[in-house]
Amino acid sequence: MEGNIAILGYGLSAIGPGIGIGLIFAAFINGVARQPEARGMLQGIAILGFALAEALAIFGLVLAFVFR
Amino acid sequence: MHLTGLAPLVGLVAETEGTPGGDPVAGRMPILPLYGELIFGLIAFGILYFVIAKKVVPNLEKAYAARAAAIEGGMAQAEEAQAAAEAAKAQYEAQLKEARTEATQIREDARVQGSAIVAEMRGQAQAEATRITEAAHRQIEAERSQAATQLRGEVGRLSTDLASKIVGESLHDQARQTGIVDRFLAELESGNLTAQKVDS
Amino acid sequence: MSLHLLGTSLVAPMASGEGEGFHAPTPEEFYWPIFGSGDWTFTRPMAVFGLSVILISWALIALTKKAAIVPGKGQWLVEQAYDFVRNGLARDIIGSKEFLRFVPLLFSLFVVILVNNLFGIIPPIQYPTMSRIAFPIALTLVVYVVYHIAGMRKKGVGHYLTGMIPKGLPKPIYVLMIPLEYAQFFLIRPLTLALRLFGNMFAGHMLLLLFVMGGEYMLLHGGIGLKITSIGSFAMALIFTAFEALIQFLQAYIFTLLAATYISDAISEEH
Repeated sequence: MEGNIAILGYGLSAIGPGIGIGLIFAAFINGVARQPEARGMLQGIAILGFALAEALAIFGLVLAFVFR
Repeated sequence: MHLTGLAPLVGLVAETEGTPGGDPVAGRMPILPLYGELIFGLIAFGILYFVIAKKVVPNLEKAYAARAAAIEGGMAQAEEAQAAAEAAKAQYEAQLKEARTEATQIREDARVQGSAIVAEMRGQAQAEATRITEAAHRQIEAERSQAATQLRGEVGRLSTDLASKIVGESLHDQARQTGIVDRFLAELESGNLTAQKVDS
Repeated sequence: MSLHLLGTSLVAPMASGEGEGFHAPTPEEFYWPIFGSGDWTFTRPMAVFGLSVILISWALIALTKKAAIVPGKGQWLVEQAYDFVRNGLARDIIGSKEFLRFVPLLFSLFVVILVNNLFGIIPPIQYPTMSRIAFPIALTLVVYVVYHIAGMRKKGVGHYLTGMIPKGLPKPIYVLMIPLEYAQFFLIRPLTLALRLFGNMFAGHMLLLLFVMGGEYMLLHGGIGLKITSIGSFAMALIFTAFEALIQFLQAYIFTLLAATYISDAISEEH
């Protein structure tokens, strides 16, 4: 079997952001379900949180390419 | 941006130099840019930005402003139309009211006139009736007095004739005759005419 | 990574893999030179990007030239996108005082990213330009320069730099806080901005390549059982194409949203 262990590292680094993004959107859906009129405000915050959490996964991707 | 300090990157580039394409940049890590592409991207984006900033956005903003103005203008126009409609309605209502008043007036007049006519007619009829009644009364009175006068003469003559015949005593003396007749009539009127006295 | 490298052309991806079993798509699939060599090669993504710029410019100018009060179909479409960026992103995030200056930039970013991403699934092209890191980096450079310059011009250089650090914290925390905040503003934000777009487009296109090439391999080289299985592979490619369309729109939105957020952070008074 051929491949690169760095890709495995990327897989591991994606776990945390995956859970984090799930939590962010779960909270977002909860918030909208309780207060549909707050959707606009919550959406921006949720996307921002999503971007911040995703940044970690992106670092993983970058490092997977750098150290291989 | 030269990443010569990063040994793994250089190693990687060197390692992949013998790719089938034979191009040294073909095997470059996907997170390192090809400078030609980077500069091309910057220039092309600059052109697009220029086009959008100079042509598209001003046009759209102009449309937005025009639309806002049109909506405001439309509102003013609508207000005007509403005011006109309201004025027309007020006028119409005033006219209606006037017409109604007029109708009432006419009706009232008609009623008054009608009642006046009726009253007049009634008055006339009353007057006629009164006149007729009076005439009748007068005639009756005249006839009665005539009848009474006639009757008096007649009754007097008859009774004197009768009495003279019965009593055989001439009562042609004027004064006595009148006295007797008057006494008789008075008795007759009072209702206690003593028939038995005459009969007997 | 010692995977066998496939040819540079996707037209015959299996040409060099003949007889050696299936080879997964590699990042080299994305390098597609037309002429030239080295760093100054004219590549296919350049052609696609140039085409997108020409197409967008032509379409936007043609559709908004009249700028009628009652929009036609095309103008309505443009206005939907413009309204989305202008009122949904720029005005809400930057604030109604200063947003109008940045609307052209944000609108250009949104449109160019959206169109280039969608090129990834539009048949004659089928190449997401943003899966070549150079283009996300170019766009990020623009945003990076714009938000720093906007912040410095508004607050002055010194005040801008000190304004990045939150105030009123206990002293020892600043040792940790100052490098973190500067790294955030000067490194992490631009890096993640470019890499997020690149990573999503790259991985998405790689996934599609994998399903299509895998299906093709099974169909051409496999036995009867594999030939039937290839239908599943192609079906997955179709499903992921639809999914990609969603991701592509979302990435254009997120890039524009984050650009607006960074600009807003740079010019807002409090931080």
